[in-house]
Amino acid sequence: MGQPNRQVLVAEDLRKAYGQREALRGLSFSLNASRILGFLGPNGAGKTTAIRILTTILEPSSGRFLVDGIGSDEPIRLRRRIGVLPESLGFPKNMTGTEFVTFYGRLYGLPTAAARYKAKAMIEAVGLQQRARSLIGTYSRGMRQRLGIARALINDPAVVFLDEPTLGLDPQGQQELLKLVRWIARERNAGVILCSHQLADVESVCDDVVILNTGTVVAQGPVADVIGSADQQAVRVQVPPASVAEAQQALQGVPAIARVVSTGGTSGWLRVEIAPPGECSRNGQHIHNTILEGLIRAKVPVLGFQAGGARLQDVFLQVTQGAIE
Amino acid sequence: MRQSTISHGSGSPTWWIVFTKELHELWIGGRALTLLLIYTLLLGIQTYVLASNSELSLIPPNEMVYETLKGAIAVGIFISLIIGADMVSGERERATLEGLLLTPTSRLQIVVGKFLAAATPWPAAFAIAIPYMTVLAQGDPVLRPAILWGSLIGTILAPAFTALGMLVSYWCNTNKTSLFISLGVYILMLLPAQLPGRAQTGAAGSFLQQANPMASHAHYLSKVLVNNRTLEEFWGWLVAPVVFAGVVFLLLFLYAGPGLRLEAGRAFALRVRRAGAALLAGLFVLAAATAPARAQEPAAGAQAPALDVGIDLAHKTVKTTDHVLFNTVVTNNSVQRTAPLILAMNIINLNAKGDVVDPEDWSPQRTQYVEAGLAPGETATLGWRVNAILDGDYMIYLVLIPSPTGPEATSHPVSSPGVHLTVTPFTRLNPGGVLPFAIGGPLLIGVVIWLVYRRRQRGIDTGGS
Repeated sequence: MGQPNRQVLVAEDLRKAYGQREALRGLSFSLNASRILGFLGPNGAGKTTAIRILTTILEPSSGRFLVDGIGSDEPIRLRRRIGVLPESLGFPKNMTGTEFVTFYGRLYGLPTAAARYKAKAMIEAVGLQQRARSLIGTYSRGMRQRLGIARALINDPAVVFLDEPTLGLDPQGQQELLKLVRWIARERNAGVILCSHQLADVESVCDDVVILNTGTVVAQGPVADVIGSADQQAVRVQVPPASVAEAQQALQGVPAIARVVSTGGTSGWLRVEIAPPGECSRNGQHIHNTILEGLIRAKVPVLGFQAGGARLQDVFLQVTQGAIE
Repeated sequence: MRQSTISHGSGSPTWWIVFTKELHELWIGGRALTLLLIYTLLLGIQTYVLASNSELSLIPPNEMVYETLKGAIAVGIFISLIIGADMVSGERERATLEGLLLTPTSRLQIVVGKFLAAATPWPAAFAIAIPYMTVLAQGDPVLRPAILWGSLIGTILAPAFTALGMLVSYWCNTNKTSLFISLGVYILMLLPAQLPGRAQTGAAGSFLQQANPMASHAHYLSKVLVNNRTLEEFWGWLVAPVVFAGVVFLLLFLYAGPGLRLEAGRAFALRVRRAGAALLAGLFVLAAATAPARAQEPAAGAQAPALDVGIDLAHKTVKTTDHVLFNTVVTNNSVQRTAPLILAMNIINLNAKGDVVDPEDWSPQRTQYVEAGLAPGETATLGWRVNAILDGDYMIYLVLIPSPTGPEATSHPVSSPGVHLTVTPFTRLNPGGVLPFAIGGPLLIGVVIWLVYRRRQRGIDTGGS
């Protein structure tokens, strides 16, 4: 556990190379207690490598990190201060939830009775008390994720790593799990590192964010600041999905617009990037009018308009464009 | 609010925690019990067959005990090997290894705990074999040395093969690869015993036998239990199992244990392919070294003395498992004393499509001797016993052979009248009283599995998700 505003994780210039290939190129960041840090990046960006280094499964080629003041050169001590929910954590099907968490409690040095007591408390905390005595083989995916979180918390960690915790969960399950993530940070005062491709989730639950691209940090800081960096340069417009191409064509011709990118998949959201000042003399309000005017002239229905700008997803796409292209 | 950090060092050691958890998975999860059930079924079938053959006087008790012990060790080793082969790669495949590696524990202790749990089926397997050996021993003193040597040798080899399985598992990312390689090694070790007799003798064959822990321990047991030989004479055949065990334990605990990691490594697949090619080449060389034995050249014929062989039985009908007793009278009708005489019995199947008879299996008296020869007019009466092994229509006859007088001489054998033997089938359901063991053993294990399952079901909430 850590006190708020106290650094519980500091990574300094972490690098990892597999032969000639550099998977991680100088990762540096810090995390305070009670804060949730979103760890983002496209596939192959180095997230898994970074998490495995920070959880002592892999050794870095260079650099070091501290967890709750313990250096990475003391992996066994360090492991006492972290809790991890790996992306593909397996479970023994023939154990009950309580037996599973108790087993891990004992591995962290608790006597059997204390481990059992603690396991029950953790299972209750993640809302699994009704199924505590059921075999894990009968658990749903969401229940297993909760159980994995109970296991990750059995040692009262200072830092909790959650790798894609909402993957494969239904919307209700995702919301419940995010509530649990907030609880870990706010009530248990742990620093949480949340790896996820669900950018809306990260935006709603995280305080800070680190975005990796091809092993390099391309954006980091408080979520609001990272989003704000792109805030004044883009607006979001929602049109019917069938009209996305038509809207893009209509807006590409407007001189004050640098680029129009579809961001919302089938939802019809467009990110309209505004040309830097100097390239266009109009001020912001006029540009908004021009965008709407262009769409109306092209007879494209406007379903939504966010003049305040960017979402995390927009920033993510912007800073990782090279990797995606 | 900062919560209290848990204290360390007050709990059990890691190896013990891992051991008890693995033990639970192995035994309560049912894998070990299922393997033991199969083992008990095999043991029951083997015991029944051996006891049936024993009633036909084919196999003496010490040989039956040896065969049962050899089978128990071979299957016990097999169980240990496949359980070991799942220990690390299985965890990797089920994605449960990462959770273990994330705990503040020593990798070596994790491996030690897993090894100890994986080695537990052997004592159970051996304990199950003891009643079977007892009933087959039929009071023969072979039982005590069999239990002693079986427990000692099995307790070296079964854990050694567990360690071997774990080593293979340590280098493999998937269970399929680990089990395939482990079974390959096991079959390779069993293979020399299946090669033709000539491949097992000679310098290379003998070395192969003695260096292979599977073959050498079986040879030692056969000499001590069947041929009543001693440890002093054959201790050299125990070196291979001990050295093998020492090497795999060292590799597992000094190399693999501390280096336990999430992924097995990519270069291993290549090394496995190379090793497989080398083993195939070795097998080819071994097969090429074997050659068929040459047939003996027949001897030429010569003059015969005036000798006569009579039998006091012309025909008899019996059931299988019965025996037939008859006497032969050898008479010297000549005026000279005969050379030493040899009387050899033979049994012929009169049914051309029937099995060829091996008289050694049918009678303890294959050949008898009249070493002093017979004076003119003298007779010698010899008694014979024939066990009816298989049903069918047979002819028993004897051949009287005067010993040749020197290396350059030969003699003229004389044949006796035949005894026409008709054997009708007879099956005893409970040969040697082994049936309760053959059926009861697997039943007992089945009941244990059911009880464990029921107890487990009571201890858990069985509701679905």
